[in-house]
Amino acid sequence: MKQVQNVCLALLCVTLMWVAPALAEDTVCIQCHAGQEGSLGEPVDQWRSSVHAANGISCHDCHGGDPTDFAMAMSPERGFIGAPDYAEVPAFCGRCHLGVMEDYLDSAHGRALESGGPQCVLCHGNHEIQMATIDLINEESCSRCHDYERATQVKQAIAATETTLQTLESSVASLHRVGIDVERIKADLFAKRNSFRRLFHTVELEKIKTQTNQFNQDLSETKQQIDDHETELGQRKVVGGIMVLLLLLGGCIALLIRRSYQAEE
Amino acid sequence: MKLQKEAMDWLDSRLGIRELLHSNLNGYLLPRNVNVWYTLGSVLLALFGLQFLTGILLLIYYVPDTEKAFASVTAIMNQVPYGWLIRYLHVVGSNLIMVFILLHMFSVLFMGSYKRPRELTWLSGFGLFNMGLIFCLTGYLLPWSQLSFWATTVATDAAGAIPVVGDHLIVFLRGGPSVGEATLGRFFALHVMGLPMAFLGLVGFHLFCVRRAGISSAPFGDDYRPTELTKSFHHQEHPGGVPFHPNYTIKDLSMIFFALALLVAITFFAPWLFIPPDALTPADPFSTPEHIKPEWYFLWAYQSLKIFPSALLGLAAQGAAMGFLAMLPFIDRGPERRPSKRPIFVTLYLLGILLTIGLSIWGHYS
Repeated sequence: MKQVQNVCLALLCVTLMWVAPALAEDTVCIQCHAGQEGSLGEPVDQWRSSVHAANGISCHDCHGGDPTDFAMAMSPERGFIGAPDYAEVPAFCGRCHLGVMEDYLDSAHGRALESGGPQCVLCHGNHEIQMATIDLINEESCSRCHDYERATQVKQAIAATETTLQTLESSVASLHRVGIDVERIKADLFAKRNSFRRLFHTVELEKIKTQTNQFNQDLSETKQQIDDHETELGQRKVVGGIMVLLLLLGGCIALLIRRSYQAEE
Repeated sequence: MKLQKEAMDWLDSRLGIRELLHSNLNGYLLPRNVNVWYTLGSVLLALFGLQFLTGILLLIYYVPDTEKAFASVTAIMNQVPYGWLIRYLHVVGSNLIMVFILLHMFSVLFMGSYKRPRELTWLSGFGLFNMGLIFCLTGYLLPWSQLSFWATTVATDAAGAIPVVGDHLIVFLRGGPSVGEATLGRFFALHVMGLPMAFLGLVGFHLFCVRRAGISSAPFGDDYRPTELTKSFHHQEHPGGVPFHPNYTIKDLSMIFFALALLVAITFFAPWLFIPPDALTPADPFSTPEHIKPEWYFLWAYQSLKIFPSALLGLAAQGAAMGFLAMLPFIDRGPERRPSKRPIFVTLYLLGILLTIGLSIWGHYS
């Protein structure tokens, strides 16, 4: 059931990625704020280079309001929220990133929120937010609040799985480029990646280590499917190579026969 | 063997088949100096045949419905046994046909083979070239991908630049104000029925013209002399030439093998050459891709529309260029065909090719 939910969520996100980018730029929020200076205008340029912009998530998707009406764009009647307070940020981001919020709130980080503990924006940034990578766990960032030792262990525990995820995603993109239908694998991988990202927001080393093994097993099934496709592509190339050689041979033989006719002429 | 002889005797007594075969194969003499460029017609015929065959096989599974077209193409590529091979051969084949048609036309222009008495051969060949372009344009829409949808939107939009009738023409081409179900329906009907029938007829006429007027000699070598033009019909004979079959057909066959080797190599090793990433996502009328570009053989036209101050001027310039090319045999009427004796023509010819390539590269990177 959980897997079905994850696949549905992944499909919804993938659909949003297709539909939304073109619409994101047309909002009245962008039109008005892009021309402003300072803290009112800066978020527009920051957002344009973000992973949110690339996937069509625009101002109103987080801040609410009506992106089609200048007069009502920032009206609470149309759901405008504005910028959240520090402690409200996890709930603000968690409207979309539900699973991550759940695990974060259960973690040492989440429990320390009320007393000024770290929240989403502290590590991920806000308007210029980028695709999360393992590099977000780094000494400079983590040692702002505590010793880096524990974070290093978490990073080591997830590094191999993260690399596997990236390799598989790159393989899926290559298969897609040659016309292989990878929608199911893509959605499955998307769901697995999200679940894995949830996991290390718990910042519980033992839990991460135990569950990472389970993820690796799940990923090996996906890898098998990808390998099967790649093997088939390899076999196609062998057959194609043989066909090309046979055709070239046929052409050369025909040319030799032509030469024998030329000698008679 | 005995059965074959009896069958031939039976046919011969009724249709004079032996005389027909002899006069068109062994007894049909070609000039001794025919070169490799003369084989392009046969290569094109072989590729057209393959397009018909793969097209018919694709028709079995393709569904011309905006809701199902992309899914049906995905199914052909992933579920139908060897469907990917059939589709890639069709896609790569259509691009190679455009390459070979252009090479065929360039060689005919360079050797002056379009000149009297072969004006109709040239005109029918030029018609086939244009029909090939329409084949590609209509076929492009059928997978109903982002590329299909937006490239067709841009292409049909160009017709709007024509004064007075422009807007009506767009509606006529699309079957409505925008590209949709009606557009897919009419492009599909044109691609699989209307165009093939007209194309076969025109190919037949082209071959008839080639056979009736006789093969022109290559205008090279010390022995070559321009043909004297006569007012009455005269089939160009080549006494002392080489028999069409088997001496020349074997050369045709070798070039067909090499062309097929190229087709198979691209099909198996680099099919993505002719399939941009936007062709891999289903059409979405609400999401315009950032850089939608036409296929390589339309890039010169796409860029020429952009460099003129108005689309109408661009269309007029394209029409004038294509009209000039079509009417060339009636403009360039001298009997001389040797390139070395036609420096002005050869200069214009090279400049024309460079301009087309330059515009295409500009269009690609613009």
